[in-house]
Amino acid sequence: MTPYGGLTFFVVLAALLLPAVILGLLGRRIHYYGLFATLALLWLSFDSWESKALLAGFWLWETALCYGLLRLRAKGPSRGLFWTAVVLVIAPMVVSKVSGLLPGFSFSLLGISYMTFRALDVALDICDGRVKTLSLWETAYYILFAPAISSGPLDRYRRFTADLHRAIPREEYLTLVRDGVWRLMTGALYYFVFGSLIWKLWIEALPDGGFLGWAGYFYGYTFFMFFNFAGYSRMAVGTAYLLGIRLPDNFNRPFLAVDMKDFWARWHISLSTFLRDQVYTRFCMAALRGKWFKGKRTSSYLGYLLTMGLMGLWHGLSLHYLVYGLYHGGVMGLNDLLDTRWKHFKKLKKQPWSRAVCVVVTFHLFAFGLLLFSGKLLG
Amino acid sequence: MEEQIIAMLGDICGADPGEIQPDTALFDEGILDSFGLVQLIVALEEAFGVALDPAELERAQMATPDAIAATVRAAQG
Repeated sequence: MTPYGGLTFFVVLAALLLPAVILGLLGRRIHYYGLFATLALLWLSFDSWESKALLAGFWLWETALCYGLLRLRAKGPSRGLFWTAVVLVIAPMVVSKVSGLLPGFSFSLLGISYMTFRALDVALDICDGRVKTLSLWETAYYILFAPAISSGPLDRYRRFTADLHRAIPREEYLTLVRDGVWRLMTGALYYFVFGSLIWKLWIEALPDGGFLGWAGYFYGYTFFMFFNFAGYSRMAVGTAYLLGIRLPDNFNRPFLAVDMKDFWARWHISLSTFLRDQVYTRFCMAALRGKWFKGKRTSSYLGYLLTMGLMGLWHGLSLHYLVYGLYHGGVMGLNDLLDTRWKHFKKLKKQPWSRAVCVVVTFHLFAFGLLLFSGKLLG
Repeated sequence: MEEQIIAMLGDICGADPGEIQPDTALFDEGILDSFGLVQLIVALEEAFGVALDPAELERAQMATPDAIAATVRAAQG
């Protein structure tokens, strides 16, 4: 059973959500039942015993690491502890991605990229001293949260657990149900209708090569990716709402962005925010505090390349993903350069006509990035 | 403190004199971005001897020079 992949999934989902809605409408706590629903969804989504065992092993590994970190962090902050945590927490994901390159060795786990980043969020919160205690069930629920397992959004540990600690009054839950059902319906419309139609009637109908073939793919793939990905995200957010979890929205009208910085604040928001906080900000803070570079902006440019390069590799260990990430790192750096060196640029982004030009240019810069991402350009 | 923070912001963001007022919405006006925020935090730590954790700070706490001054005062205890 594939998450959000067909009728069977939605029938099972409806059956699992019904008790949650009843509990919510009665003003009772949903979260313990939510963990049960997550485990049930995982049980059905990981259909072979081998994949169930791998998932259990993955969860045990990450949980043991988090509890181990908690004990070690109680003795005080340590840079060694931070790097050990990063390496060990992401190790299963790295093995999984490397295994795809090795013949005769396979270790793939549905949702490992998202689950690993969730575990990393817990681990880094512990290393930074922001999390001082753990609850086994809350950590399990967060890391394994099934509605967002394979395509996000990537929620944050402290935000997620804050939801678990809050009782939801009946009236507030009614609003959550209304908003959740709306997101589920519109997400399904994006994913199954618009996304599928664009794929079937637009992309599959394109000629091979030639201007029409490339131009058609350039635009068609961009719109397909938006409706497919935003649709999935909306369905995940809608499902989470019904479980009483305010999973953050992942898209905010990205094709109205006026530059690439604005774009990444609107597209896959949860991932870009996570990477901004955990990679870019950490790198720049360390570079500025340590005075690593003569020019202050150098740390920002390198921070963008590092952050977006890692973002590319997070999608998979392929050249086109790395190039996709570095391309965005470069474009973000260029954006930064324009913002700081060409004061007129900020004004251009605010005036109606020049703003429209900025929106069109940003769209095309992103669409070219997706062409790199698709692998069609680099093979 | 507010004036000192406005001067810092002008230096970091390359803002024109008078562009930043105590209640200017720094993110909404496109004056402060992610890197500007990092630079500002490092500058505030050096100038006022406080420790600020970017992951702990809500955007609202750094949204205007007034809000930043309140955040620094709270960090000073």
